[in-house]
Amino acid sequence: MSDNIERLLAYVNETYPQFKQGISESITKSPERFEYIAELYLSWIIIARGNRAIEKSVDAFVQFTTEVNLSQAKYEFTGHYENQSFAEVYESHYSQKSQMDGYLWGVYLTNFLWAHHLEISLFFESRFLSQLPSNASIIEIAPGHGGWGAWALHQMPEATLRGYDISPSSIQIATSVARAAGVQNRTAYYESDALDLENQKAESCDAVICSFLIEHLEEPDRLFAIINKLLRPGCTAFVTGALTAAQIDHIYEFNHESEMLAMAESHGLRVLETLSTNPQRLLKRARFIPRSMAILLQKPLTVSS
Amino acid sequence: MIIFDRLNCVFQDVFDDDELLIERNYTARDIEDWDSLMHVNLVLAVEKEFAIRLSSYEVTRLKNVGDFIDLIEARL
Repeated sequence: MSDNIERLLAYVNETYPQFKQGISESITKSPERFEYIAELYLSWIIIARGNRAIEKSVDAFVQFTTEVNLSQAKYEFTGHYENQSFAEVYESHYSQKSQMDGYLWGVYLTNFLWAHHLEISLFFESRFLSQLPSNASIIEIAPGHGGWGAWALHQMPEATLRGYDISPSSIQIATSVARAAGVQNRTAYYESDALDLENQKAESCDAVICSFLIEHLEEPDRLFAIINKLLRPGCTAFVTGALTAAQIDHIYEFNHESEMLAMAESHGLRVLETLSTNPQRLLKRARFIPRSMAILLQKPLTVSS
Repeated sequence: MIIFDRLNCVFQDVFDDDELLIERNYTARDIEDWDSLMHVNLVLAVEKEFAIRLSSYEVTRLKNVGDFIDLIEARL
């Protein structure tokens, strides 16, 4: 393991030993790819966050994961997500810079520290990125921390990316990650509601990335209409979403994988591949299995019958 | 029953181990199966046993048995 990864593991073991098992499961999932992705993400975080970057980000990861687990426990008890309205989540969460900064850095680390999210990352790398043209024009809807987009541009030296997120913290952090990854000249981030992309020029990109936005929307099917509009025919989108997985800002509850697929298909997109994953360990007596789903979508060359 | 004993019963119940005897300095390194999810199970059981509510900030900062005891004492 690299010095950065060893430093992260040592800090977890010393400060948050209860998180060691989950991280070990992630390493075991794919030791070689874990090391590659973790080192990539940690090297950027050190440039972006400076002194004690790894420790501060692990603190954020632990806080975020604990809040997710507490939300899931509450969901187990009530049977529904805590919030149903985007407006109340925006007011209490997305617009609050101090909360969002920690939240975004915490989510950033889940891409490789949660075993089932590492699976999603591997799917992103092997099934989506590997198929894109090296000069792809990418749109990222709700980039959040910006890690997915920075990774894409890191892999494809001629690709460009436009990202749109409603949170000012996201724009700031995604920009800092792009700078740390050395891809800032090929990225442009805009503070904008994802659903305003309905007004963007049609068929203007070769690929769309939209990671864990859909469960934050009141009308998630509109997202697929936007993706279908933005993509050029024959091009692909990588979309992820959460099912029966509570979080303070999750408002749309997906119960079945087929719901997301049906939404995508109803807006003219073709489902090429899917991956549904869940944590190996659950809360005691859990009736819900929190899943993360990745979908590879294509805008068909011709309208299918 | 003093807090320590009641907390020990909570640990025994959550970890399903009647033989478990906690000590103040015990952390997840000392108790097998004390992972991030069991940590939340512990918190929920503590909240129920002592009729208190803990914030996510407080939950994140509970590092060992002594932290649980100190927080419970402060809240009762």
